[in-house]
Amino acid sequence: MITRPVAGAPRPYRFPDFDHQRLDNGLGVWLVPLPDRELVSIHLLTDAGAASEDEEHAGIAALTAQLLVTGTERLDASAFAETTERLGIEVGSESSWDSARAGFTALGSKLDDGLALLAEMLRTPRLDPGEFDRLKSERLNDILQARADAGRLADESFLREMFADDVPYGRISAGRPETIETLTVDDARAFHAGHYAPNVADIIIAGAITPDLTREAVERHLGDWEGTAPTHRTFEPVQRGGRRVVLIDRPGSVQSELRVGHLGINRHDPRYFPAMVMAALLGGVFGSRLNLRLREELGYTYGARSSFDPRRATGPFIASAAVQTEVTVDAIRELIGQLERIRESQPDEAELAEVRDFLVGVFPLRFETTSGIASAIEPLAVYDQRHDWWQRYRANLETVGASDVHRVARELVRPDEALILVVGDASTLRADLEAAELGPLEVVSTT
Amino acid sequence: MAQVPIQRHLLDNGLRVVLSRDPRAPLVAVNLWYDVGSKHEKAGKTGFAHLFEHMMFQGSANVEKGQHFSLVQAAGGTLNASTWLDRTNYFETLPGHELELALWLEADRMASLLPAMTQEKLDNQRDVVKNERRWSVDNQPYGSWDEKMQALVYPVGHPYHHSTIGSMEDLSAASLEDVQDFFATWYAPNNAVLTVAGDFETDEALAMIERHFGLIPANASLPAPPDMTVDSLLGEEVRETVADQVPLPRIYLAHRIPVFGTDAFDALDVAADILGAGRASRLYANLVREQQVAQDASVFVFPIVGGASMFALWVTARPGVSIETLEAATLAELDGLASRGPSDADLERVNNLHAAHVAGMLERISERADRLSMYTCLFDQPERINEETSRWTAVDADRVTDALRASLRPENRVTLTYVPAEAAS
Repeated sequence: MITRPVAGAPRPYRFPDFDHQRLDNGLGVWLVPLPDRELVSIHLLTDAGAASEDEEHAGIAALTAQLLVTGTERLDASAFAETTERLGIEVGSESSWDSARAGFTALGSKLDDGLALLAEMLRTPRLDPGEFDRLKSERLNDILQARADAGRLADESFLREMFADDVPYGRISAGRPETIETLTVDDARAFHAGHYAPNVADIIIAGAITPDLTREAVERHLGDWEGTAPTHRTFEPVQRGGRRVVLIDRPGSVQSELRVGHLGINRHDPRYFPAMVMAALLGGVFGSRLNLRLREELGYTYGARSSFDPRRATGPFIASAAVQTEVTVDAIRELIGQLERIRESQPDEAELAEVRDFLVGVFPLRFETTSGIASAIEPLAVYDQRHDWWQRYRANLETVGASDVHRVARELVRPDEALILVVGDASTLRADLEAAELGPLEVVSTT
Repeated sequence: MAQVPIQRHLLDNGLRVVLSRDPRAPLVAVNLWYDVGSKHEKAGKTGFAHLFEHMMFQGSANVEKGQHFSLVQAAGGTLNASTWLDRTNYFETLPGHELELALWLEADRMASLLPAMTQEKLDNQRDVVKNERRWSVDNQPYGSWDEKMQALVYPVGHPYHHSTIGSMEDLSAASLEDVQDFFATWYAPNNAVLTVAGDFETDEALAMIERHFGLIPANASLPAPPDMTVDSLLGEEVRETVADQVPLPRIYLAHRIPVFGTDAFDALDVAADILGAGRASRLYANLVREQQVAQDASVFVFPIVGGASMFALWVTARPGVSIETLEAATLAELDGLASRGPSDADLERVNNLHAAHVAGMLERISERADRLSMYTCLFDQPERINEETSRWTAVDADRVTDALRASLRPENRVTLTYVPAEAAS
């Protein structure tokens, strides 16, 4: 048999060059020409995410973003959908905590028409009362559906139970039913008027473009966009209590959805790179410790993972798995055991090298598509990251050593403070969880 | 639309090789389709093709358990595999200079999987797959729909009657001997297609392929393909209602249709997008936006080749809307399109959406490689990848109407309705 081959010489790769300018009205314009592509991706970002809404109106950022695609002053919902889709363009519009994003990917030949429609949508949306009411009830129905889905119920419950009461992150960014119920189209109109403005917006265009012509087109469609908006509010998340166990009863479940975690890091944390390497080693790749132990050795689950969710403010750190009901307590112990183990000692060089080499080596693959490249520019626009972020990215990963991983693990992984959240059948699980003494137990009924 | 370059080769042992060079990015995709899927499973062995796919990652003569993943990932690559009704595919995408690593790994398990197989590994992966089933089917709202739909659309004994994930009982019964038999029967070079797409030098790649795969013996006695024969129409309307832990009722409809690769299938693929793709689609515009009887709607065809394929859709009821109202509104849209046919605007819309979708798909070398393997494995025609859009634009209104009238008939329809358990009596 032939022995394992030795790799040839790598071909150099660098993140594509891009141009960044600001129009007189404050709009940031990022152009990434990729001359050998057929497609073009436009991402228009606005500082109008959930971090820009006040808590009484939680959910208005998401609804406003969605409402944008239901027409303009000139074109009603039906005509707007028809006009864009006949160009082969499906316009998306959504929001997260830190921004709202509207855009599309289309054949390069449709760029001008598409850009004109996108600009019209942002500047003169119809914000129709009937469409608002429809989207609002669809959102409420979706939350209802999500609560029947063990995984989505666990995700939502973890945020509510882990963050302290007054922390906005204690909910999904789409809002909560209690506040969504009270929202009206006037709230959406006020949110659009107050938060969609060029001084807090950036447009990223990547793909089959001629920069001079594209810049002119942006100037033509968005250069006379007026108005100013405030930036997002700021807050510092805190956790609710220390180590405890919350069991969300979902009768009849044949698996338990586990979410174990606590506060993580924010987007600007100086430990960002060692934290990424550590999280990958613990639960970010197939060969991570959590997946190898819970899946490949014990067969408890189809997959176990862990990750940080860094936002402008401190987001969560979560380890998760869906395990068969019978092994729930053992699986929690194993999972906690891996969180303790990564704090106890440095990873050996071989294990670290495998993960680091993956993160470094997979770099070009992440930027195979025009939308992948446009997405990569987003953190530069949203978080004001250095323009050479991606040029330095691989070097930043390569310098992470075993002692760095160990240090950030001791600082950022804290099983003693972790919330252990279980969505499963309480009639089967309650006694075992009590006996296991993993922390004070609270059982939440969902019926 | 740019043409995907295609070079075909055939090794002496029957391995079909497709090369598609594209040096724009320093990346290469390796993709293997084995012509074996859940349709090849015997009675009492449902789910085995998929369980076997998991065993392919448990090591081979020169590769330790887990090493397939760790070597590819350490090289900066991604990888996975999947099993479906007609086939099983395995794929890696990695930096171009690591091409030979992927070829070596794939060849090692094609040539010499069995020395690495143990009862312990089988028991472990059986548990993993059972948890995959719990996660995707048993603990999931509406999770049983495709399993139930296949059982209703295809008669008992037909190879598509059972699902790819299989039953818990059959998974429990799988033995190490089954692993040996399945490997010896199906995992041979003359039952596979190997595609390499992306950044490579053709002569070098061919030499590597010959070196790693050339000596793997063919299976001289590949079994005859399973008998997929089935009537083109169901012959009667079939209805089933399922009480499940779901807040909102949902209706699934399915019809037997001509198989993937036929002109009629293309016409129905176009019809599915007219009905279900985008906010200007018939179901979204009329049921979700105008009448507001549906929370969401989805329409699709199954790209499968044995006997009959499926045209399927689902619609979820808005609270307070009766199942009867939703069903009537949905059927009115199907009937309306079948009787009056699509407009020029409908066809222009879905053709342009499809062209953008195809361009997006072919932007990724992994997807290009997978489709080249697919067209070679199913039709022995990799060049079909360059007809993705022309086959669509060739569909006119008459072809859509004819195909819908032939297949979307009441006596060819399965209606599977999920209702909230507490509301069921």
